[in-house]
Amino acid sequence: MTLYHFGNCVALLLPYYFTYKYSGLSEYGAFWKCVQAGCIYIFTQLCKMLVLATFFYSDSAPNSGEFNFFAEILRCSVDVADLLGFALILSRIPGKGHSKLITAGLGWATAEVILSRGIMLWVGARGTEFSWIYIQKCLESNVLLVQHLTTATLIWLFTRHDLNKALKPLVSILLAVTIFKGVWLEGLLHILSIGPWSAIAVKALVAAIIGFCSLHIYAGLAQQIGI
Amino acid sequence: MFNEAVNLADIFRGGLPYCLLLTLPILIICSPGHASEFQVMSMIKFDVNGEYLGSRSSAISLEAKSLYTWSTGRHCVLARLLDISINDLNKIRQKAGGLIIMLPQDVQSLSNELKDQVLMMEQHMLTQSIPIPVHFAPFNRELDLIINDITSTAIDNEIRNKTALVQLLLSVNANGYHVTVDGQNNLANKNSKLPVIQGESFPNQFVLQHIDSTGEGNGLPLILITANLKTFGVINDYPLNADSAVLMALIEMFSKLHTTMGTIPKYRLGFLLSDSGLLLNFQGSKKWLEMDDNIALQNVEFVLCLDTITQSLINNQPNVLYMHVSKPPKEKTSISNYFKLLKSVAGHYSDNLTVEGVHKKINLADSKLSWEHERFCMKRYPAFTLSSAKSPGSPFRTTMFKNNESYIVEKLITSVKILAESLACYMYKIDPFSDIFKGHAVITEDNIRPYLGLKSILQNNDIRDGFEKYLKNVKIFYDKPDEREPDFMFYNSIDAKLSIYRVKPAIFDLFLTIAISSYLSAVYFVIQFFPRFYVLISTSTNSFIGRSIRTSPTALKRK
Repeated sequence: MTLYHFGNCVALLLPYYFTYKYSGLSEYGAFWKCVQAGCIYIFTQLCKMLVLATFFYSDSAPNSGEFNFFAEILRCSVDVADLLGFALILSRIPGKGHSKLITAGLGWATAEVILSRGIMLWVGARGTEFSWIYIQKCLESNVLLVQHLTTATLIWLFTRHDLNKALKPLVSILLAVTIFKGVWLEGLLHILSIGPWSAIAVKALVAAIIGFCSLHIYAGLAQQIGI
Repeated sequence: MFNEAVNLADIFRGGLPYCLLLTLPILIICSPGHASEFQVMSMIKFDVNGEYLGSRSSAISLEAKSLYTWSTGRHCVLARLLDISINDLNKIRQKAGGLIIMLPQDVQSLSNELKDQVLMMEQHMLTQSIPIPVHFAPFNRELDLIINDITSTAIDNEIRNKTALVQLLLSVNANGYHVTVDGQNNLANKNSKLPVIQGESFPNQFVLQHIDSTGEGNGLPLILITANLKTFGVINDYPLNADSAVLMALIEMFSKLHTTMGTIPKYRLGFLLSDSGLLLNFQGSKKWLEMDDNIALQNVEFVLCLDTITQSLINNQPNVLYMHVSKPPKEKTSISNYFKLLKSVAGHYSDNLTVEGVHKKINLADSKLSWEHERFCMKRYPAFTLSSAKSPGSPFRTTMFKNNESYIVEKLITSVKILAESLACYMYKIDPFSDIFKGHAVITEDNIRPYLGLKSILQNNDIRDGFEKYLKNVKIFYDKPDEREPDFMFYNSIDAKLSIYRVKPAIFDLFLTIAISSYLSAVYFVIQFFPRFYVLISTSTNSFIGRSIRTSPTALKRK
């Protein structure tokens, strides 16, 4: 029964596969490209860890439950490296049109879900002790998938020179909002003391709004350059 | 599809299988944790005279249920000690799969009725064999909440009669607890042994010659004082050993008298301390009486057995010291003389302490003795037991619960004073109110407190050292169980760890699967309809920008 619960949690990650299968990536044979994107994710995280361990001190225990605003800002400023990682993926991995962005976002998100949730799910969700947290984490990874796809799109838009000048600040703002989500969104959730389920809903809403905006911009540019 | 297959095959052609070979065992070893863990004490398990007593097994892996909801052997009952009645216990003993009892936070502060209940329960558990595992958990806030939880869900479900659908939903959403106790089944301890320590104080040769030149001290009449060390109760812990503290204090007192020139009595004083009390049927004294090289049991004046000289728990105990005898003492015998002496001494030194005699015949048909003096009476020595318990079935004789030490010490000082004075008066044949133990020989807290921590003769050398310091002819005998027909047997037991996992019923996961599949199908349709959505957005964007539309023929999809 516990293994069954683990299966339930893994089933919640199926949207990753759906995205791969039904977005046409499988028809392009983009599997290796996704794996490469994942490798770049790992590389980026290692670099981030090095920077965090070298230049930032963390005296607050992560499990203390209280929200440290200053520490979060510092931590998020390192997350700028994520953007560089995305830029690296987009510049290095060849791809055509939409599939390029989906490859980058999906590869990144998949690597993240495997590396950061895999052990937790295997050890925790298989255990005798029941906790909602595993289901919540899996649902949250679905939100993260949308978010990473959005980030990939925004980075791509940011690197385009033929983007409408009027839209450039909007893209930059959206990028900043995405990167510093750890500060403002988590802080807001903490201040309002929103429960875990509503927190996921709020995150999903935010991801959907940002996604919709970037999709709107992207659609315009894609029409313009004809892909 | 084909491309993907080729790619996947590429992976498996490479080093991946070997990587999996390495990682899979690691993953399997990673055992799930996150349970609430508590340290629990297993109930004692021991054999005596062919009777199997205590809880006979220890490992549990069952669903936790409250006292009111358990029904089968697949349930482990989780309850507070005060909630359990003896009836409940009998039912659980026969049908449940395990029992975990949470002890009250502070037994001392309970009302007298509740204390009685606790003690009766404890005694009841000790007098029977319990086939299921029983563990005791000290009071713990978290465990308390869990017990509340399982109890309250039970009550809710019973009170409200709801429709089938609501009940189904309730059962889906119900919280369950899974209890695991990792205790391995205890093995018989082949090295079980009961130590008995003896010692005597008799006037030394030099002094003796001055008095009446009898040579050996053996000719003098002997007063033997015995006590028992309780080494376990309902759990494997040390109960209060007040009797041995009294015995040690008496040894200290009388060794002073025996070594001071002017106060040498014409009696030998023998002391006997064994590790086996009521629960072990006074095996130690039995063994000692069978030995050849013990203190010469000639010319025995009387044997004084101490048993529960102070009740360890109840505050308002009637202040009575009972003198238990097997047959009513005749006039002018040593016991009757001492009884009278004790009575007057007790009346003199304590305002409200009275001494009463209780007569109970030895039941030879019963395999278990009620009092230690019966062992000596059966060998025709004049013997009696002094105890604060009136009946042999008093639960105080085996209880684990105890009051705080200062209260006990206060009581013990009085007891030691009365015993010492009465014995001295008896030995010197003087007036009962002469108050011998005063001045430098006064009995204080310091004479007793160090001995309250005594645990077992085997535990360390404290008792042996104490005996050797004050007494002569100190010997330790060990009673070992017979290979074929052991009189007693102990079992190895390690305090177990109780893990309580919060679990959901199997039907809950089934419902979860249904919910997840509906979610997945929703996601599937969203992805399927995404191209249309994209086209819609493109048109709106273009109309917004105000350009001519050139729809993409393939309409690639995002997300």
